[in-house]
Amino acid sequence: MVSRRDLFTGAAALVGAGVVSRVGAASLPEAVIMQSAATQVPPPPPNGRPYNPVVTLNGWSLPWRMNNGVKEFHLVAEPVVREFAPGMKANLWGYNGASPGPTIEVVEGDRVRIFVTNRLPEHTSIHWHGQPLPNGMDGVTGLTQKGIQPGKTMVYEFEAKRPGTFMYHPHADEMVQMAMGMMGFWVTHPKNPNFMKVDRDYVFLLGSYDIEPGSFVPKTSTMLDFNLFTFNSRVFPGIDTMVARQGERVRIRFGNLTMTNHPIHLHGHEFEVTGTDGGWTRPESRWPEVTVDVGVGQMRAIEFVANNPGDWAFHCHKSHHTMNAMGHDVPTMIGVSQRDAAKKISSIIPDYMAMGSTGGSMGEMEMPLPENTLPMMGGQGPFGGVEMGGMFTVMKVRKDQKRGDYSDPGWYKHPAGTLAYEWNGAPPEAVRSTSAGGQSMPGPKPAQNVEFNVRKPSGHSGH
Amino acid sequence: MKPIVFTPLLKTSSLLLAVSVLAGCSTLSNDGGASDVSKLTQPRIGFGVTGERTDSDAQASSAQVSKLLAAPLTPDSAVQIALLNNRGLQASLAELGVSEADFVQAGRMRNPGFSFSRMRGGDEVEIERSVMFDLIGLLTIPLRSTIEQGRFEQAKITAASEAVRLAGETRRAYFSAVAAAQTEKFMSQVVTSAEAGAQLAQEQAKVGNWSKLDRAREQAFYAEATTQYARARHAATATREQLARLLGLWGSNVNYKIPDRLPDLPQKPNEPGALEALAMEQRLDIQIAKRDVDATARSLGLTNATGFINVLDAGYANKSTTGAPRENGYEISLELPIFDWGGARRARAKATYMLSVNRTADAAVRARSEVREAYSAYRTTYDVAKHYRDQVVPLRKQISEEVLLRYNGMLASVFELLADSRDQITSVNGAIEAQRDFWIAETELQAAINGSGGAVSQPTVAASSSAPAAEH
Ligand SMILES: [Cu+2]
Repeated sequence: MVSRRDLFTGAAALVGAGVVSRVGAASLPEAVIMQSAATQVPPPPPNGRPYNPVVTLNGWSLPWRMNNGVKEFHLVAEPVVREFAPGMKANLWGYNGASPGPTIEVVEGDRVRIFVTNRLPEHTSIHWHGQPLPNGMDGVTGLTQKGIQPGKTMVYEFEAKRPGTFMYHPHADEMVQMAMGMMGFWVTHPKNPNFMKVDRDYVFLLGSYDIEPGSFVPKTSTMLDFNLFTFNSRVFPGIDTMVARQGERVRIRFGNLTMTNHPIHLHGHEFEVTGTDGGWTRPESRWPEVTVDVGVGQMRAIEFVANNPGDWAFHCHKSHHTMNAMGHDVPTMIGVSQRDAAKKISSIIPDYMAMGSTGGSMGEMEMPLPENTLPMMGGQGPFGGVEMGGMFTVMKVRKDQKRGDYSDPGWYKHPAGTLAYEWNGAPPEAVRSTSAGGQSMPGPKPAQNVEFNVRKPSGHSGH
Repeated sequence: MKPIVFTPLLKTSSLLLAVSVLAGCSTLSNDGGASDVSKLTQPRIGFGVTGERTDSDAQASSAQVSKLLAAPLTPDSAVQIALLNNRGLQASLAELGVSEADFVQAGRMRNPGFSFSRMRGGDEVEIERSVMFDLIGLLTIPLRSTIEQGRFEQAKITAASEAVRLAGETRRAYFSAVAAAQTEKFMSQVVTSAEAGAQLAQEQAKVGNWSKLDRAREQAFYAEATTQYARARHAATATREQLARLLGLWGSNVNYKIPDRLPDLPQKPNEPGALEALAMEQRLDIQIAKRDVDATARSLGLTNATGFINVLDAGYANKSTTGAPRENGYEISLELPIFDWGGARRARAKATYMLSVNRTADAAVRARSEVREAYSAYRTTYDVAKHYRDQVVPLRKQISEEVLLRYNGMLASVFELLADSRDQITSVNGAIEAQRDFWIAETELQAAINGSGGAVSQPTVAASSSAPAAEH
């Protein structure tokens, strides 16, 4: 039996799981379990066809064994505890100790056999999203197979025909099982390792959860009003940074298993969408973008040359998706003078502190929160609070980052004269148009009796 | 008491002797019977009574009242003040003095008197002088004495019963007043919270964050809270005045102090034990009824023995009409047994005796039932108050803490925070009401055991959550 646990570096959390009966164990590959949420950089493949491994953000790749030329994997569907970010853990369902499950990496043409053991309290199945395979291996309960009953193991076997980007997820009680975090990434590498070769290849899945602050289990019946938007079931500041050496070609692949679209945005670089879940994009049809929308159930692969050193924000562009748990019915307090009311409120609620008069930013304030939840925006950057949460991380491009080195290089040191600076001179005179609207659509004259309440910034007086 | 042996041929000397003996055993006490009343009240309410008979009595009382009023009242000090200062009770004690005087008077012969009459008829002037001696009075002294003694004893028990009732009422009023003041304070916090909400809402609308609808909703709550607060304030005043009446306070004394909060619940409730038996011994209405039976029995014996002394017709007649002083009295007449040898009268006496026996039995049955009911109320209110203290209020507090944490995380708004604080205050008010109900139930239970029964408690269907509790 081939066990690759010794080949993983820093993979102390890997343990063998005694999940299968002794009788069955003789014929089953070991089910390797991962409990850490740190990014585990995989080594080159020890056997089989060569390929360039992907790096699963805050995740890992599943070891396999070769059995008469067949790559055998063992997935265990089970309840797991996943840390969303330091300070918050959730009771989810996942595979082999984590949600999402491990990334499965195979090579075009590989014969693949996957043992799926069910340790959940209800039946499950796995659908291999995007794979061309025999209908009976497609994993839709009721339609193409019976559900895998609790305690049972079923085997899926097919040929990984098409190279590209895929995912796996249940097609049994899927509303509950996906809301509970059951999903995983799948990459089929091209037979030719030099085909569209990149220097770094990051992968992750987008998930959304509704976990009430102070609770531990996602609400599985939530339809749209999620409060945690995740990359691989992690939220900022819990999402690892991506790194690249200046000049390297970087690929980032992501699949969307939430209930809405996500415009994924990278600062500082134009990228091209080079792959979808339908395969690789022909070079002549690629558009340069800085934001690509990934629809529900879709996968996208983007590529760019990391030619611009710095710490570049990488995030979903829906502003609520770069926030952690927040109240959705909190009234806007901007401009509201709270001083008098605050005195009264403090007389009945001694620990009360007025907030929001100058906006939503909580600045450096640290106030006690309910247990097991995260500040709406957290994470400290070199210049203070980053004021983001959720689907947010940083792409760090460095001149001196070693090839194959995925460690965090620290904060970017800006060369002299390349940092925004404060203007201390006289303010430049504002130029105003007197004929806005032009000839055909003259602008209406502002009504004299309307009183405008324009809130001008006035420092931190409100706190 | 033996039936009186009626001897028509008494010698003057023995008559005089009898008179002096009778007179000797019934002299006026120096406190009008108040010490006997104290003996009855002391084990029942913990305090005796003092009748104010002289100016120095009054001064001593008022000095003691002032001393007690110097500190915030306790249930006991309130009872003490009421016993010293309640004019109604003093009136009963004075009445006791009247009763005693009657009793003493009854043991004395009317003074011999002269009468001188001059009648003029035609041209004749007849002057008649006579020395009158109250022979009938003399003959009926023992009889009158017995009757008046019974009446005096009754009056003492009645006065004691009045004092016990006053103590109970005072305790009830005390607990109501303290609870109402506590509620008033909490309601003022609701108003503060509502006011803060309304103020914020107004600001919200002013800077354009809120619609008129939202602002009006928040202000409507404030408007309602203000009226509730006004009611709570009046309830505090009304209960305070009720207590002032019972304490007999006026002038600057009406600014008496009460504590900020009700006494804590006892560690454990009292077990039911032999409360019914205790009530049979202690209850003053039962004692009155028993004495009534005794006295009636005595009269029955008397009637049986004499047949022609009409005692029962008037012996225990006393009637009280609202607005008029109580008319006490008796009337004894001697008849010559010529036409009526008293058979009907004897039957009547017997029936009257059975009447009072049955009345006593009825009073006993009622008393036992009242004790059982009062205990149930006592126990229920204890459990409810404890539940409020140990469960409801801590849970509310926990909820408030969690809401504040949510507010901190911008998961909840300041308006949710305020709404929750109002809920918490309402729960605290519920707890205050429950605690007050317990202390009142405890008072009622004491009244059911020691006095003449308390006010029959009405099971409370729903705790008044927002509106202040109506006065009991
Ligand atoms: Cu998004």
